[in-house]
Amino acid sequence: MVITTREQDNVVIFDIDGEIRRTDTVQETLHSLVEAQLDRGRRNVLLNLGGVEFIDSFGVGQILASYISTQNLGGKLKLCRISHKLLLIFQITMLHKVLEIHEDCDRALASFGKT
Amino acid sequence: MPDGRLERFLKRFGDVRGREARAALSLSAFFFLITFTFYIIKPVKESFLISVRPSWWPYADLATALFIGFVVALNARLLDRMPRRTYLTASLLFFIASLFAFWFVFDVHQKSLVTTPVSDASGILFVLWAQETILNHWTIAVLVFSFWTDIFIATSVTQFWISVNDVFNPHQAKRLVGLFVTGGLFGGIAGSALAALMTFARIIKPEDLLLVCPALLVLALVMVNLVYAGPRKASGTAGDERIGPPARVGYRESFRTFRRDRYLLLLAAMLASAMVAGSLINYQFKTVVKSVFEYDQARTSFIAVFFLVILAVSTVFHLLTTGRVLKSYGIRWAILVAPAFLLIGSAAVFVIPFGALLAWAWVVRGGDKTFDNTLSQSVRELLYVPVAADIKFRAKIFIDMFVNKFSTGLGAALFLSLYHIRRFAYREDPLAVVRETGIVVLVFLALWLVLTRLVYREYPAVLKKDLGQLWKPGQTVVDEHIDERLVREVFEAIQSRERSTTLYYMNVFNLVRSNSLTPELKELLGIKRDELKARAMDSLFDVGGEVFFPGLEETLSDTAFQKEVDLIFLLPSYQKIMDERLGDIAASDSEVDRIEAANSICRMAPSPSTLEALARLLQDPSPEVALYALNSASVHRRPEFVPLIVRQLANPMTVAEAQTALAAYGPGLEGLLARTLRSADEPLEVRRAIPDVLARIGTQKAADSLVGELALRHDDMEPYLIEALYKIRADRPEVRFREKELRPELQVLIRKACDVVLSPPGPPGAVQAQLDIRIRRIFDLLTLMYPREDIVNDYQNILQGTPKSVDYSLEHLDNLLDREAKELLFPLLEDLPPGERALRLKKALRLK
Repeated sequence: MVITTREQDNVVIFDIDGEIRRTDTVQETLHSLVEAQLDRGRRNVLLNLGGVEFIDSFGVGQILASYISTQNLGGKLKLCRISHKLLLIFQITMLHKVLEIHEDCDRALASFGKT
Repeated sequence: MPDGRLERFLKRFGDVRGREARAALSLSAFFFLITFTFYIIKPVKESFLISVRPSWWPYADLATALFIGFVVALNARLLDRMPRRTYLTASLLFFIASLFAFWFVFDVHQKSLVTTPVSDASGILFVLWAQETILNHWTIAVLVFSFWTDIFIATSVTQFWISVNDVFNPHQAKRLVGLFVTGGLFGGIAGSALAALMTFARIIKPEDLLLVCPALLVLALVMVNLVYAGPRKASGTAGDERIGPPARVGYRESFRTFRRDRYLLLLAAMLASAMVAGSLINYQFKTVVKSVFEYDQARTSFIAVFFLVILAVSTVFHLLTTGRVLKSYGIRWAILVAPAFLLIGSAAVFVIPFGALLAWAWVVRGGDKTFDNTLSQSVRELLYVPVAADIKFRAKIFIDMFVNKFSTGLGAALFLSLYHIRRFAYREDPLAVVRETGIVVLVFLALWLVLTRLVYREYPAVLKKDLGQLWKPGQTVVDEHIDERLVREVFEAIQSRERSTTLYYMNVFNLVRSNSLTPELKELLGIKRDELKARAMDSLFDVGGEVFFPGLEETLSDTAFQKEVDLIFLLPSYQKIMDERLGDIAASDSEVDRIEAANSICRMAPSPSTLEALARLLQDPSPEVALYALNSASVHRRPEFVPLIVRQLANPMTVAEAQTALAAYGPGLEGLLARTLRSADEPLEVRRAIPDVLARIGTQKAADSLVGELALRHDDMEPYLIEALYKIRADRPEVRFREKELRPELQVLIRKACDVVLSPPGPPGAVQAQLDIRIRRIFDLLTLMYPREDIVNDYQNILQGTPKSVDYSLEHLDNLLDREAKELLFPLLEDLPPGERALRLKKALRLK
């Protein structure tokens, strides 16, 4: 998994490539990266999952933990370009009712300005 | 006499119905004339036989035992080969001719005179030779006459019962057996009365009685021809054509039939032991009579009076007791009466004084004959009922003629052995002879008693043997072929596709997780590769049209995928988010949101907020939301949900799912359900839905609750309670029902069915429909008290079986039910005209 962080329109965008799974031991998890941005005072986070091939429950847990941390600080965490498979998981687990998911990252970015 | 009046007249003697009357009367008259003739001949035979030396008595019986087999075979062959009517006519003519011949023989002997009745020279020589021979061979003449008498009665009685078999089916015959036996008894009384009167008043000599008989047999001939001139059950046509089983029936064939059938073997053994005992009792009787009466006239007169009294007592006993004993106690106890009485009576010989010997002989021999003519006769016929017609045909011939005579022969051999071993010829004291014979009698009576038990134990099994299940109960058929829950889930999945893709995925995922997604179902659900068109995803992706989800099937079927989804539900972060958000979703204005929430809760951990949301969803005004919530409640099974689920029982849209949810709680819920069941405050719909839940829980406590509720006799609950109890009986054989508690309820159900007949609720069609429902409930309840499979088979065969299987079912029930139940239930089950049915029910209910 490779995570690249960039910033646009006051939104921290995490472009994630590869797979998010517990077997891929990395120094920094998605949640720790998000928390680092939150510690820097960033409150709007967009997870671009367009390059994610697979995500397991660990990965979903990372997204949810990031969501909670952001939410606790009054921020917003949104998702864009998720795969059919991940959407299916979110639908079955009802997370699509909680998480804000956009097909297109530009529209997701635009939505931060609206809220 | 018109049929109606004739039927009413005959009803005094038996249960005669409709068009049976004429045939029944003809057969009764035939039997009357046969026994009339026999009881004129019998005292003469007995008296002449007693007059010879006692060592000859057994030879008379042995001769019968040895040679009767040939006659049996001949009779069977002729019955099989010749037209029945022709054969019966011929045999009666033979007996008429024989009577004249025997009269001539005895007349010559008694007059001790050689005469020349013809003038022709060759004729004179022959007659002189014959007369000389008779005078010198009296014992032989008596033995031949005795043998002829046995042939006469054995052949005639068999022919009579075969005629009954030709004309009536077994159940008819069972009803009419009383009438026939009555006819036979009256014939015997008339015959012995005539013989007693003539000899006692010295009007004619004993041998002259034989000249009365041919006239009676001519009348019997007329009756036989009347019987076979009328319609019969087998062909339904009149005439003289051959009737009877097509198979060749001979002695060997009859024996083979027996060898293969344990029940028939036991039956034959029982009858044989009874016959041996009876035969020895007869020797005891003869010994006593010979010692008391020296002259033919007095002896014949005594024997005729003896038979007269025995038959009179038999008639009274039969009219007053036989039917009642059979109705009240059934075969089970009726079969015991005769051997028990004779055992006690025979044992008494060891304590009575010499002076009481004639009275003792009268009582014991009289008792044997009385039971033989009445109760034992009826019991014997009933024991044949479960035997298939063709086997019965052979069995009757074998038992009535071979076993019967063989046993008599065995009795004779035993007496002969005793006679020589114990030197009876030199004994002055008849009491000693009678007592020594009595020891052997007691052995055979004890054997008889044991065999009655064995026969009775086999009887119901034989009855049931030919009663198969005609169809499977509806629920069984459904359970065998359809998984109701799966069908419901598939339909929910199909319907949910129109409503929400998310809900659809959830439902499909549920199907996948329960391993129910077969290739056929995938086809039906349209989730095969590249086929899915998920319109609801439009809103999510805003693509303005339908989108495809290639690979859905593979994704959902992937066990790694399934495992990850399960793990997500367990994530602390997931639970934390849902704790915060689920309440809002459950309170959403969107019905789809609430349905999705209700659906997914079944996979969530039971945190307080999850359960709170579920409680809210269980009370949702939308039945669809409630349906999914009920499913989730059945997974979490929290006690606090029970009242909310019970409330859903009142809604026809959710009642089935609510029942399933409550049943999922399993044992432990019976008390609460029983209280709800009895609560007058609960809506009737709720109370009616509870028995099914208790049935699904299926514990002893659940069954007891249902029986307790049934005892309260609320009409509006009755069908639901009985159906539930039936279900428990079918699914949980380990659950026990107490007959004592159910018997009164059975009576109530039967009486309600009687009310349908006696106070018809509408037109005949409606009455029958009501009656059918009532009878079904009665049988459902009977399954709780008796072996379920047997009762179901009885019910099905009575409803749609062949006439034979209907008979067997009724007979099986006859042996199962108590008298009170039978009296009311049988008129409802039997094929009766409405008026007749109502009349019998009124009689049973003691209504005017």
